[in-house]
Amino acid sequence: MILASSFVVVALVLCMATVLALFGVTHVSMSGAEAIERDGLAPGVHAPVWSLVDSAGKVVRSPPPTPLQLVMFTDHSLKAFPSVVDGLREVMAQELLEIVVLTRQRNELAESVLRSIGLDGISVLTGSPSLYAAYNVRVTPFAIFVDSAGRVRASSLVNEAWQVTKLLQLADLPLEQENLAPRGRFRRRTAGAGV
Amino acid sequence: MNVLVLCAKTALACLLIVAGGAKLSDPASFASTVRLFIPVRVAWPVLSAAAVGVSLGEVAVGVASLTLPAITALDVLVFAIACAFVAVSAMGYAFHRGRSCRCFGTLFQRKFDAAGVLRSAVIAGIAAVALVHVGAAALQLDATARVLLLAAAGLLTLAAFTAARARGTGSEPEPKVVAQ
Repeated sequence: MILASSFVVVALVLCMATVLALFGVTHVSMSGAEAIERDGLAPGVHAPVWSLVDSAGKVVRSPPPTPLQLVMFTDHSLKAFPSVVDGLREVMAQELLEIVVLTRQRNELAESVLRSIGLDGISVLTGSPSLYAAYNVRVTPFAIFVDSAGRVRASSLVNEAWQVTKLLQLADLPLEQENLAPRGRFRRRTAGAGV
Repeated sequence: MNVLVLCAKTALACLLIVAGGAKLSDPASFASTVRLFIPVRVAWPVLSAAAVGVSLGEVAVGVASLTLPAITALDVLVFAIACAFVAVSAMGYAFHRGRSCRCFGTLFQRKFDAAGVLRSAVIAGIAAVALVHVGAAALQLDATARVLLLAAAGLLTLAAFTAARARGTGSEPEPKVVAQ
C-alpha cells in the first residue's frame, strides 16, 4: 500500500513545493525597489472609471469634465512630504486641472490634516484597496494624471515638488497614436520610467 | 532507487508545466525567441501560434506525465524533449549568445549561455534517470489520486502563469510621449 501511493506522495509534495517556490520568488521580486518603480499605469491606457462623493457632497468623476485630473493617492501621511505639498500648491494654480486626493480606505484624519497644510479646495475621496489595485498603486504618495478621455497621461511615485510639476508637464504632452491602448488592456510601466 | 526515479519523473513533469504555464503568460515574447530558430521569414501570427503550441505542448506533456506515470512512452517523450532542450541551448549558445531564451517566459531571465547548456544537460540527465524501470506498484494510481494530481497540475500551471504575468508585465516597452 505504501509502495502504491509513493508516486502520489512524491508528486504532490514536489508540486506543492514548486507552487510555494513560485509564490516566494514572485513575492521577493515584487517587493523590491525596481518592482515599485513599475507601479502605476502606463501613459495612454484607460484609467479606471469611477464616481465618488466627497465630504461636502460634491460628486467627483473620473474621467473628469476638465482637461486634466490629478489623482493623488495619499492620506494624512502627506504631511510628512512637505515638498510634495509644495508641488501640489504650485499645480493647484492651474485652471484646467482638477486635483483630488484618493485615500485607500475611510480616513477621518485625512481631510482635516490636508486642510491644515494648505491644500484647501481639493476633494478628499474615500477610495478602496480594490480601486488602488485598479490603478496598480501600492506605495503612496502616488500621482496619476488622467485626461478627459479617461486616458492616463502621467504616473509616478512622488517625493519632491519638482516631480509633481514635471509630471504635469509630461501630462500636457500629446500621446503617440501607437500608445493609445484599447480599453481594458492593463499595462504597467517599466522600471525607471518615473520622474 | 525507486524514490529517486519517482522524484525525477515528478520534477520533470513540474518543470514542463511551469515552463509551459509561464510561457503562456506572454506568448509574444516567446514568439520572438522562436523566430531566432527559424531561418526563413515567417508571418508573426504563425510565430505566435507556434509559441502558443510549444507552451501548450509542454503543459500537456507535463500534465500527462504527472497523471499517467505508468506509461513508459511518456518518459521517452520527456527524454526526447529534454534532448531538444540541449540542442536548442547549444544552438542558442552558438548563434544567439547572450539573447534571452525565455525558457520560463518572463519568470526567470535566462539567457543563451554556457550555464544554460549545462542546465539543459542536467535536465536531460534527470530525464534519463526517469527512464529507469520502477515497480509497477509504485506507479499505480486510482481515480482519486489521478484527480488529485490533475488538480495539483492545474494549480501549478495557474501559479506559473500568474507569477510570470506578475513579474513580466514591466518588461514591455514604455510608451513614449512626444513634444508638440
